[in-house]
Amino acid sequence: MTIVEPDRTTYTGTRVRRTEDPRLLAGRGQYVDDVTVPKMIEAAVLRSPLAHARITGIDVSRARELPGVFDVITGRDLAAVAGEQPVIWFPIPDQRIARTHALAVERVRWVGQAVAAVVAVNRYVAEDALELIEVDYEPLPVVADLDAALAPDAPKLYDDWPDNVSGSLTYTAGDAEAAFAEADVVVRESFTHGRAFGCPLEPRGCIVEWDDFAGTVDVHLSTQSPNLARDLLSEVLGVPVHKIRVRTPNLGGGFGNKFDFYGEEVIAAVLSRRTGRPVKLIEDRLDSFVATSHSRDQRLDFEMALRDDGTILGLRGISYGVLGGALGTVGAGPPWASVLTCMGPYKIPNLDVTVKAVVTNRSPYGSYRGWGVPKANIVHERLIEIAARELGMDRAAIRRKNFPAPEEFPFFSGVAFTYDSGDYAACLDLAMSKVDELGWRDRQAAARAEGRSLGIGYSFHIEPSAYGPSRILNLVGLAHSGFDEVTVRMDSVGKVTVYSGQINMGQGTHTIYAQLAADGLGIPMEDVVVVTGDTDSCPYTGYGTGGSRAAPLGGAAILRATERLQAKILRVAAELLEASPDDLQIEKGVISVKGTTSRSVTTRDVGDAAYRRLLNKMPESEVPTLEEVDVFDPPNMATSYGCTALLVEVDRGTGAVTLLDCLQAHDCGTVINPMLVDGQLAGGLAQALGGALLEELVYDEEGQLRTASFMDYLLPTAMEIPPFHFFHQETPAPDIPGGIKGVGEAGTIAGVSLVASAVDDALSDLGVTVTRFPITPPRLLDLIQAAQTPIGQTPTGQARTEEDAR
Amino acid sequence: MKPPAVRYARAGDVREAVALLAEHGSDAKVLAGGQSLVPLMSFRLARPSILVDINRIGGLDRIEQDNGSLLIGAMARQRDVELSDVAAAAVPLLPQALRYVGHVTIRNRGTVGGSLAHADPAAELPAVVTALGGELVLEGPGGTRSVAAEDFFTGTFTTVMAPDEVLVGVRLPRLPDRTGVAVEELARRHGDFAIVGVVAAVHLADDGTVDLVRLAASGVDSVPVRLHAAEAALSGARPTADVLEAAAATVDASIHPADDVHAPASYRRHVARLLVQRALGAAVERSGVER
Repeated sequence: MTIVEPDRTTYTGTRVRRTEDPRLLAGRGQYVDDVTVPKMIEAAVLRSPLAHARITGIDVSRARELPGVFDVITGRDLAAVAGEQPVIWFPIPDQRIARTHALAVERVRWVGQAVAAVVAVNRYVAEDALELIEVDYEPLPVVADLDAALAPDAPKLYDDWPDNVSGSLTYTAGDAEAAFAEADVVVRESFTHGRAFGCPLEPRGCIVEWDDFAGTVDVHLSTQSPNLARDLLSEVLGVPVHKIRVRTPNLGGGFGNKFDFYGEEVIAAVLSRRTGRPVKLIEDRLDSFVATSHSRDQRLDFEMALRDDGTILGLRGISYGVLGGALGTVGAGPPWASVLTCMGPYKIPNLDVTVKAVVTNRSPYGSYRGWGVPKANIVHERLIEIAARELGMDRAAIRRKNFPAPEEFPFFSGVAFTYDSGDYAACLDLAMSKVDELGWRDRQAAARAEGRSLGIGYSFHIEPSAYGPSRILNLVGLAHSGFDEVTVRMDSVGKVTVYSGQINMGQGTHTIYAQLAADGLGIPMEDVVVVTGDTDSCPYTGYGTGGSRAAPLGGAAILRATERLQAKILRVAAELLEASPDDLQIEKGVISVKGTTSRSVTTRDVGDAAYRRLLNKMPESEVPTLEEVDVFDPPNMATSYGCTALLVEVDRGTGAVTLLDCLQAHDCGTVINPMLVDGQLAGGLAQALGGALLEELVYDEEGQLRTASFMDYLLPTAMEIPPFHFFHQETPAPDIPGGIKGVGEAGTIAGVSLVASAVDDALSDLGVTVTRFPITPPRLLDLIQAAQTPIGQTPTGQARTEEDAR
Repeated sequence: MKPPAVRYARAGDVREAVALLAEHGSDAKVLAGGQSLVPLMSFRLARPSILVDINRIGGLDRIEQDNGSLLIGAMARQRDVELSDVAAAAVPLLPQALRYVGHVTIRNRGTVGGSLAHADPAAELPAVVTALGGELVLEGPGGTRSVAAEDFFTGTFTTVMAPDEVLVGVRLPRLPDRTGVAVEELARRHGDFAIVGVVAAVHLADDGTVDLVRLAASGVDSVPVRLHAAEAALSGARPTADVLEAAAATVDASIHPADDVHAPASYRRHVARLLVQRALGAAVERSGVER
């Protein structure tokens, strides 16, 4: 099956349809659970039913006796042959790093922590055997949430720690104390984002085959970061990297969750070594709610100081990261990133901002699309709107007043990041003009006349992308790199293969890489194949596919490699055409002398000359073959940005919010494929809107997860998501060849504060301020009723009672 | 999420199904559309030792009018009832409520009998049958018996059915022409079980007074609740805004909601009252229209 595309000579900037789609839409994709290896057996994991307990005994004898069971292991068995789960982010100096083995050894610290594992002839038998394992627990007092963790007499998760604080770090710029002292207005608020996670519809999974004769470990893994997984498997298992191969089949979504490195990979490896069989371990839906990284869980107590003309003078506050019972792969990275980006797109000269990472008896915290930035966006976008209200200023005007001007870039934010380029005011104006064009204000006025409550919300976001300069990442505490390596090879018939360490998990990486390589070489896109997902054949990427890296870093490496490869192709063609390389052009794979149409050769001729029939064709000075390797380590990151607007309706009787329409003006530098950029923006926004209204991993006071199925953990569906309209502005990234900026996380960053802004606007007569996410109907009804009831309150303007709102 | 081993028997007729149930007692479970039972088995929350499949029993999927009532076989698929002209003509509340049950793919498979026998207090079909005073037809070793809806549901996921009885159908009284019907739900998402649901049917006499009102709520107790006090407050009265409000004010005393992860009981009380008012208002507005 092929896609028929219009005839094109260049592809960058056009809406080329995804090369990945025919296979996926026909149901012929191959995900890890579709992969079968000869003699493979299947594992399942026994998980703790308690949030905090000492393991006083485990009896696996009955499980071992069940027919069809190959092996049963406990934490002691695993710890004898494997190290603790690695952590790669150490942004907080002297941070206490809470690590565990893939199976708990003596103590469990969250519901769902892996305690034992069975491998059997199939998953059914493995699950039957789990029921035969007897674990004796001695319950310990539970630290269920942030307040419980920080209480003076709180039970401790780690006996040798003074408290439950893993670490704390403060960044300052200017003189925040003086700024707050001289401010005309100070606005402050405590914001809470509940737990949520990426929830890929394909849960995680692996097949591990440990060949004890060759000393090799062969892994099929549903991961976003095969190189990182290989390095970390090497650390944990003590097997050298060159003996480990990680292959990634199709991914049914990753969303950051599959960036992290998990215990199941290690469990499967240990079981494979012990049984001599390949072991498949698939995380089922029930597992995934407790075993895939949780995220978002944060409280942010912040205040903003302003002059009465709306100029922001200072920002200070604390970002509490509500971590789990052990640190995940990225440690306290996301709540830390909230602090790095809490000033958002605004010039704030005086900063005093702190991250405090706290452990609780919840699942470990990890990566989810947007990392800490969506919560930073809540801080700056909520506070600036509250300030606008306080000052009686227009919401757009106060934002515009505090943007750095285009000529102020590169702009140092005050903490860590230097924004590379942008025209923030133009982007804001673009969004506002589209709100006018779509007639939202008229719809709002008409609805209000009928007693209905429509609101328009705004969010301006920044998205630091293209993570990142390796040495700077190392400097701020990452035990890993950020460069990207690519190999571009033209073969003996003149066709091209691009090998990349990035992963294709739904964003269309193969399509944009083929676009860029085709343009970089001057060949048809159909002549390009992209290969990813195999550490044996593909090059190294630092980090992985995350941090909005694939387009800017992989893209830049392809552009640099193809530029050099094209020059070599032209040198070979020059020999064939008896012309000077400088006089040649290449278009659609045909090389000819510029300005003439008479004589030409094709890439097929060049490939033949470079690989097979070299005599009198390949210049003596050239090395045979046509291949270029490029490693791109960016000098700076690339900061995308956007202004998003949302139209909602609030039911004042029930507190229910309906999303009516949504638009985003966006700038990610050079747009490689507008359709795929729109797809990234829409997908991210859908996740953010779900996080703002629906999705929450709710823990009770016993540390039990109350929303561990799709009945209770509510992902948004097409029915809940509004139409989207996207508008592009292109300010090239000055530090990235091609000018490309990342776009993968934009929607998730912009969308949460956005809903709060729109809800506040719908209820502006009541003066409601949303500070807690998700905004569930009972929570919003509480806010509405609290705003309606104070004695002596005299609603003004368009005040309406609940009765009128019907 | 793999179910434990389970035996399977396909019943050729109702008598055979009853015999299988009688043989295996409470270890047996009837398999109809499987939309609730199969996931519960995968979670290992339901662990029947044998499934008695009634999908191939002929005649259990009828949808027909008979002597002023609508008869629906237990195995009628929810989607078929939703699209049935016969059902729409006799009991228009039914297709309207069915649109809130899950999603089309679920309704294609899910059955009317399965939903009623499963007895989820948040589900729509039990609320409709309760509102309309429907009768559930059960067949057991001793023959057939009919049970009124309000006597059928005894608690969350429990009914008066004996372990050896099969629900074979439900009988709903035909609603008179020009009856207005309404379904009001507060659900977190389209297709979810509602936090609170209200179904209403109202008919007005020629003088504009209410001569028929049927009202029930879901999600407000361990069983669907017929709101008799609200019905009484409306019955015989002109349905003015004040009367609707007074009827809604009685709801609080009729319901016993519980807290759960989606909403506290106090919120359910507030919303139940509001939705009753909205549902009655909508039903009144739609009454008087010839169908």
